[in-house]
Amino acid sequence: MAASPDVENLTPDASRTRSREVATQVLLACSALLVLAVPFLGASPFFITLLTEALIFGIWAMSLDLLVGYTGLVSFGHAASFGFATYAAGIFAMNVSADFFLSTAVAIIAAAAVAFLTGLVVTRLSGIAFAILTLCICQVLFQISVVWRSFTGGLDGLIGVPLPTLFGREVEPGEELYLLTAVSLIVCYLLLRRLVESPFGKTLLAIRANEDRAAAIGIDVRRHKLVILIISWMTGGVAGTLFVFLKAGANPMSLYWIESGNILAITILGGIGTLFGPVIGAIGFIFIRDQVTTMYRAWQFSFGLAFVLAVLFMPSGIGGIAERIWRRLWPARSS
Amino acid sequence: MASAFLIEGLHKSFGALHAVNDVSLDIEAGQVHSLIGPNGAGKTTLFNCITGFLQPDAGKVFLKGRDVTDLPSHKLVKEGIVRTFQITQVFGELSARENVELAARSREGLNFDFFRKASACRAASEDAEESLEVVGLIEKAHLRPEELGHGDKRVLEVAIGLALNPEVLLLDEPTAGMSRTETERIARLVRQIADRTSVLLVEHDTEVVLSISDTITVMTQGRVIAQGPPEQISRDPQVQDAYLGAVEVGED
Repeated sequence: MAASPDVENLTPDASRTRSREVATQVLLACSALLVLAVPFLGASPFFITLLTEALIFGIWAMSLDLLVGYTGLVSFGHAASFGFATYAAGIFAMNVSADFFLSTAVAIIAAAAVAFLTGLVVTRLSGIAFAILTLCICQVLFQISVVWRSFTGGLDGLIGVPLPTLFGREVEPGEELYLLTAVSLIVCYLLLRRLVESPFGKTLLAIRANEDRAAAIGIDVRRHKLVILIISWMTGGVAGTLFVFLKAGANPMSLYWIESGNILAITILGGIGTLFGPVIGAIGFIFIRDQVTTMYRAWQFSFGLAFVLAVLFMPSGIGGIAERIWRRLWPARSS
Repeated sequence: MASAFLIEGLHKSFGALHAVNDVSLDIEAGQVHSLIGPNGAGKTTLFNCITGFLQPDAGKVFLKGRDVTDLPSHKLVKEGIVRTFQITQVFGELSARENVELAARSREGLNFDFFRKASACRAASEDAEESLEVVGLIEKAHLRPEELGHGDKRVLEVAIGLALNPEVLLLDEPTAGMSRTETERIARLVRQIADRTSVLLVEHDTEVVLSISDTITVMTQGRVIAQGPPEQISRDPQVQDAYLGAVEVGED
């Protein structure tokens, strides 16, 4: 029977895509449950603390993925979003209130303000120029944190940041702080997933592909870059807030360029443009670093080597490969 | 008829080179106005000046009587001045349909919608569907640009332009690198879309230009040397000398 190929293809296509979406949601829900269940599976306190740090880096890496993966803006200074927030939240928690929501709000607003100011300049640029200027701005913030001792504690950083409180109750370190982090990660993931699938999110893909073409369909390229930069920094701010509570302090090293390099490598290894990939990258990074640093000093060499090999042989990262396998399990087209 | 789009005394120099020198055009609503001239005549520079990709040194651009000279590209699109590119520049990783939907959502002012799913923007999807229908690409809408033939890619550019609901659509050499059959397809399409938008067409194929244009402007070295209906242009000795003759010699 010679049915029109379109009629034949379209409907099963749609239902296949639908079933893949459902399967994806089930998988995500299971992953979320697993993350939340970790403290109840008899994990050691050490493991819990390490995983807390990994999930914080996961939030931070997702925030960078918005720039690198979705908008094509490679930032070499993303430690700024995180490090700046550690100081904003830390200083607020030490002097005003350690309420988690308030501290997070302060850090997010402060990060957004700095992102806005930064963005006024950097959104004129793309490519290498963007990368270098973000690096410079981050180094400026690093210098300020070192020099302005009365406010930031200089090289010692902030010491003695209290534990956060949630609804007036102190969050205990370990399992409780872990759960707070896990919930933050899940909320950030869901919001950002929504964002990248929104009409706004799709304009970012257009900007990444070709800025002139994007402008020619009516997209205000600079404004969109500015907005995504602010959202990215705000998300980085959430990570910075959790980090300052985890470490009970802030340190200028959080603003150092090496941190910018680490988070960029984590995001690329994890798989840019996937959101979940960078989270996996972060978990991998934190645990491997923990294992390797105890074995030998030159662990950064092995990390660098792994990064080079990964960029050469799996440029789409862990997330990209996982997505490809997932697509093969739930093919969209019958072929 | 009312003039939909008016360009007055446009100038653009690059150093000592007058790429566009005192060019004026008057495009009436629903007309196909073609711009021809040898390579380096300043046609693409003029396009870039009109569409906000370059700042003209002097001159004005009016759309339906409003001065739109200094607006940036994305605002010109909102006003209704839409362009395509000489080299196909569609978004490679999106399907043909998604390419057009992106434009349709932009037109509906959804670029800053953060919370809805892009795929749930019904009106935009329907507009995109209609654009693809008009250009005859609907059956291939699920394909990605790389899976489309060269001709189809150029047609996709036109569909993206149409989805932005332009007052005037500027097509930069839509038949570049096309076979005869494909060229005829584009020519028919341009004529067909002129009932919904004015068209300013830059084109090298003189046969196409003479057959589908209402008005033709001939440029050489940045200047307009002739302007008028096809019959008049094809008889103009100056034009034959500067352009039409040269094409015959160099025809492949």
